Amino acid sequence: MRVVVADDVMLTREGIVRLLREASVDVVGEAEDADGVLRRVATSKPDVAVVDIRMPPTHTDEGLVAAQRIRAEHPQVGVLVLSHYVEPGYALRLLEEHPERVGYLLKERVFDIAVLIDALRRIADGETVVDPTIVSQLFARKRREDPLANLTTRQREVLALVAEGLSNRAIAERLVVVERTVEAHVKQIFLELGLEAGPDTHRRVLAVLAYLRRDA
Amino acid sequence: MSGVAHAADLAAGLGLLAAGLIAWLEPATSRLGPVAALAGVVWFAPDWEGWDGGPAFARSVGAVTLPLFGVLVLHLVLAAPRGRVAPGAAWAMVVVGYAVALGVGIGWALVRNPVLDLYCWRNCLDNVFLVHEDPGLARALGRVWLVALLLSGVLLLATGVARSLGATAAARRPLLPLLVSGALVGGVQAATAAALLRTPLEDPRSSEFSSLFLARALAVTALAAALVVTALRAARTRAAVGRLVTELGETPPPGALQGALAAAVGDPTLEIAYRLSSGRYVGGDGKPAAVPAPGGGRAVTSVVREDRELALVVHDAALLDRSALEREIGSAAKLAVENERLRAEVLAQLEDLRASRARVVERGDAERRRLERDLHDGAQQRLLALTYDLRLARAAFGADRDRELATTLASAEAQAQKAFEELRELAHGIFPAILTEAGLAAALRSLADTARVPVELHVTDDARCPDPVETAAYVTVAESIGSAASRRATHARIEVDRAVEALVVEVTDDGEPRDAVEASLVDRVGALGGVLTAAPNLLRVEIPCA
Repeated sequence: MRVVVADDVMLTREGIVRLLREASVDVVGEAEDADGVLRRVATSKPDVAVVDIRMPPTHTDEGLVAAQRIRAEHPQVGVLVLSHYVEPGYALRLLEEHPERVGYLLKERVFDIAVLIDALRRIADGETVVDPTIVSQLFARKRREDPLANLTTRQREVLALVAEGLSNRAIAERLVVVERTVEAHVKQIFLELGLEAGPDTHRRVLAVLAYLRRDA
Repeated sequence: MSGVAHAADLAAGLGLLAAGLIAWLEPATSRLGPVAALAGVVWFAPDWEGWDGGPAFARSVGAVTLPLFGVLVLHLVLAAPRGRVAPGAAWAMVVVGYAVALGVGIGWALVRNPVLDLYCWRNCLDNVFLVHEDPGLARALGRVWLVALLLSGVLLLATGVARSLGATAAARRPLLPLLVSGALVGGVQAATAAALLRTPLEDPRSSEFSSLFLARALAVTALAAALVVTALRAARTRAAVGRLVTELGETPPPGALQGALAAAVGDPTLEIAYRLSSGRYVGGDGKPAAVPAPGGGRAVTSVVREDRELALVVHDAALLDRSALEREIGSAAKLAVENERLRAEVLAQLEDLRASRARVVERGDAERRRLERDLHDGAQQRLLALTYDLRLARAAFGADRDRELATTLASAEAQAQKAFEELRELAHGIFPAILTEAGLAAALRSLADTARVPVELHVTDDARCPDPVETAAYVTVAESIGSAASRRATHARIEVDRAVEALVVEVTDDGEPRDAVEASLVDRVGALGGVLTAAPNLLRVEIPCA
């Protein structure tokens, strides 16, 4: 797998690069700002670009903007945004226009190599990755009438994994059940919540996240 | 001369004389008065000259003063409405005009012997001043005079047309009567001069000359009437300025004086800049006022009372003469100006205070934003590096070599992770980055994600406002939601809307009634010129957002 890494803090960038190289990931380029990563992506056409959300000049959301541009200009290149913020709004913004081949992970996941590699693989395979902390924050959101209360524990578990961007097959693997069971769960959950079950895994991530974020 | 011509002749001359006297009495036009009165006297010069059987001295004086009439009219029109000829081309024309008229008059007095004048008809006998007769020179002087008369007529016509088209509407109004009648006089005068250049003998029996004379007399009568109108208008303006104090009443609203003065002098663009003790200039509302540099059609008149400048009046230079305005703002009006100045001073102090509060809040916010940034880019990055090193250390030693050390390293790593998360929450609490970056609506949605009570968010208009305004609104909502949760509310509702040039945020809840609103919130909103309204279950802020 070929990857480009963008982070303006050299220490962090080098750490990520070293970890990825140890895990036999081919790091084909490094960048320290939004323009740099756009150039690198254009020249080396990686499978995934790992982009820090805070980059010069304002250190707020330059990485998010760069990610959206990469997705728009290079549809074959996936983007993993590493964020300092537990902001579902940012994750949704990233997913809204191009819901496939994108990921929003919190910065601290970066040195958990298993999580990082899994996220990169899923993105390269065309899936979507949403940080579990974001999903659990949305699950914990206070609601006047909580539709999630009507779900069984298992159903909530499945819904959370759907929101994290996992495919039915991946959910089945994670929960050690057969894929058919997951399919049945998802169908039941969507029916319960009044959500329309689309055939498309990415669209359903977006639908579930938006549903969880509704005012209630 | 026919009876009609006689009547017109008398009306023109006496009219000018009377108008001159009236203008003389009105302070604003008093400088125009003598010019007009003199023109009225000179108007009769041809009659003196042609006084059959009259004293030779009177007839001679009539003959030599006659050329002055044209330039007097030119002077009158160019000096309108306040009596001063603008320096430059206009001034030069008037000076040259007087020089030519005097030159011709004196020249005639010295060298013209009417007996030898081929074309004489009014007076072919007397010149008591004659020193040395020179018929050739006298004729040449006659032609010079006619050419000058033609030119000054054309100039009057051109000036009248140009100035009545060129001035601003407000400036044109008081000038128009003099300009139009002046142009008329100029036109007839030029035509008369042209006719005389063509036919040197001015025969009153020819219909051409008699009708030209009649037209000239009528135009001069109109000029006299125009001068009376101008003088009366000036008198009315002066009276209106004088009455200002009574009209404004005892407690006029701030800025009323400017409107009243503008209406009184008929200049809608008039502005008053009050001078504060600090030397700054402010408007009636206490906000800084710009004082234009001299020139550019704007005149600045200083209002002084007891040797102290109270205010500057910025007005149309063409419309109002500075000294005239100084004169017209009498002592009563100055008292009104002083009152308004004192109020402007208080308002300006309030405005300064508000601005200083806003700066204090803004500095605080900037500091918080900087802290938030430092936490992300400094401490958090260090912790990340620490986590990374701990992980490397754990990998290098391996769990099989030293189980205890591996456990310690794993625990250290977990602690570093925990510290990282806590730091993130701390940074968010200090200042939510999403507020600056994505705006109030996005930040409030994020607030709703983590609120301890169910929150309904309604954003009607999420156009951005300046950072301090959005921060104040955000802090208000955050406080309200926090308070709602602690007052055991089961839900809260946030409404964000835009009124005219203001951001309106309202939070309602169904919890127990709240006691008081945090003073810092009131300060923050007040510093931005906003209004905070609190009720037991409602908090509403309205903050100006242009």
